[in-house]
Amino acid sequence: MRHYFDFDTLREIIDSLFRNRRRTILTGFGIFWGLFMLLFLVGGGNGLKHMLSENFEGFASNTMVMISSNTSKPWKGMKEGRYWQLTRRDVKRLKALMPELDVVAPIVSNWGQTAYYKGNSTNPGVKGISGDYNKIEQPLIKYGRAISDSDVEQERKVCVIGKRIYNDLFPEGGDPCGEFIRVGSVFLQVIGVDFSSGNLSINGSSDNSVIIPFSVAAKLYKRGENVDLICMTGKNGIKMKPLEPRVRSIMAREHLFDPTDDQALMVLNTEQIFSIVDNLFRGVNFLIWLVGIGTLLAGAVGVSNIMMVTVRERTVEIGIRRAIGAVPGDILSQIIWESVTLTLAAGSAGIVFSVLILNVVEVIAHKPFFQIHFWTAILAALLLSVLGVLAGLAPALRAMKIKPVDAMRDE
Amino acid sequence: MLIELNNIHKTYDNGQPLHVLKGIDLSIEKGEFVSIMGASGSGKSTLLNILGILDNYDEGEYHLAGHLIKNLSERESATYRNQMIGFVFQSFNLIGFKTAVENVELPLFYQGMNRHRRHEIAMSYLEKMGLTDWASHYPNEMSGGQKQRVAIARALITHPEIILADEPTGALDSKTSVEVMELLTKLNREDGVTIIVVTHESGVANCADKIVHIKDGLIERIEDNRQHHSSVFGTTTIMK
Ligand SMILES: Nc1ncnc2c1ncn2[C@@H]1O[C@H](COP(=O)(O)OP(=O)(O)OP(=O)(O)O)[C@@H](O)[C@H]1O
Ligand SMILES: [Mg+2]
Repeated sequence: MRHYFDFDTLREIIDSLFRNRRRTILTGFGIFWGLFMLLFLVGGGNGLKHMLSENFEGFASNTMVMISSNTSKPWKGMKEGRYWQLTRRDVKRLKALMPELDVVAPIVSNWGQTAYYKGNSTNPGVKGISGDYNKIEQPLIKYGRAISDSDVEQERKVCVIGKRIYNDLFPEGGDPCGEFIRVGSVFLQVIGVDFSSGNLSINGSSDNSVIIPFSVAAKLYKRGENVDLICMTGKNGIKMKPLEPRVRSIMAREHLFDPTDDQALMVLNTEQIFSIVDNLFRGVNFLIWLVGIGTLLAGAVGVSNIMMVTVRERTVEIGIRRAIGAVPGDILSQIIWESVTLTLAAGSAGIVFSVLILNVVEVIAHKPFFQIHFWTAILAALLLSVLGVLAGLAPALRAMKIKPVDAMRDE
Repeated sequence: MLIELNNIHKTYDNGQPLHVLKGIDLSIEKGEFVSIMGASGSGKSTLLNILGILDNYDEGEYHLAGHLIKNLSERESATYRNQMIGFVFQSFNLIGFKTAVENVELPLFYQGMNRHRRHEIAMSYLEKMGLTDWASHYPNEMSGGQKQRVAIARALITHPEIILADEPTGALDSKTSVEVMELLTKLNREDGVTIIVVTHESGVANCADKIVHIKDGLIERIEDNRQHHSSVFGTTTIMK
């Protein structure tokens, strides 16, 4: 008797499956479609997630941004509605008092400027930053370099221009570094071009900015000690949200407002935005797997059902096999192998088809985010084999009960 | 004794019990050619199924080549069937989606023989049956006589000691019936295969050396037919 799987057994299985081609194809289609749906949805979901996170690209995910605003509660004899401003001293103070912070970077910005170069002009936002701000919003330097700490210390009149500004002022292209552009009434030397296109940014997208050293901006726009906002990131592994109360109380003590006055100090936490997106996609993923696996299961139940019918129709054939020497185990394994082969073949077709379609999607969307992972395909194939065995189990047990005398039945 | 039946009883119980075999005693020696005759419903097929270990019996004892055939495991009975017995059925019972040669190979497949040898042996049996040219045809492309010869080749391929045939000519015309019976007779004469044929047709029964008449589940009489005078239509024809 036989206990191993070999080429003969495979032939035997394929012969049986090909005997009723149309039914085999229809049965396999359920599995094919289920797997296609599952993988296509998984790929599509991942692609969308990637496309969304592309917007945050180059932006430190654990950033906290602080903006001052009118107080909304009276405090120590002062009325509500009092205006106050963040200052450079706050930067130093936060650095000194909170060792968990990695970068503490002030920003001063100015809108409504016009920039000129030769005959061209454009309307950028001007952003004054410190060197370490580049760690928060990473520039994608196309030409030259980014603003450095020494630019800030020596108050150099230099600038890094965004992509749109570059295109407007230098329509012929080429490396603009070393050229002087005029912004308002001052001449600034271009030292770099930033091509980053992330849509998450602070105080105007970098696309549309002229970025200059913080110290220069403070002088030009006569801010004195005041700054518009302060950005902070935590050191590796530090979560920002729990730091918020301490930041608030430090600022409240310094600027004399009620520490419970949430409106006086607006705090933005990018971690929260990222985690909302993450949670959203975790939910979407869960749904995808639920729907996909549901479809697959329906396909497997279909296979099981049809195999059940097939077994009934094949009573005489199975009886003959038993009469000429097959043991029940032979019949059992044959039916299970038939089921596994059918599910695997149909499922592989589903895998291949979904990979093809996802490829087409990538070409159309111009984004290489959609293709499923190799291991996802392997996992799907494993899942399929298990499903195949399960689907074949009931029909196989029924087939095993067929007796050799049943070969004698006339149908 | 190759086959020894003692007081075999068989009752079918589908709702109401039907006592089909009511105490069969029968001995068949190696190399005998026996036919079983009897009215429809007398229990011939039931008896043959028991002889072929396709079905079990309720009472009595059946010894096959000295082994008691009772309460065998599926594996044991499959082994006996595969190695000692070849079956030929009225409706041929070939597997429709397999070619002639694949059908003939099947018993060897279940013995675990490799494909190449199996194929060779099956081809040699088809050649013996004069069916070499039909090896790769499917059953529905063959005539009844050809199909029955394929079935006989399949029955013979494991070198069984016994061929059990249930109305092997039942679906054939008289000319092919004669051919099939000549084939079985030749196997019996030349290769010493024990042959048991269930039939309604006296011409078919007349090929046998011994005719067992069954009536209402009992052996009515056993006729010695070594002279082959049983058929009123002569010894070389089968009247349909
Ligand atoms: N599986 C079964 N279940 C119940 N009754 C059965 C079964 N098989 C046969 N019988 C009954 O047993 C009796 C004997 O049947 P069997 O097939 O042995 O007769 P037979 O002599 O071969 O008849 P025929 O010449 O018509 O083939 C019949 O009455 C038949 O209806
Ligand atoms: Mg019968």
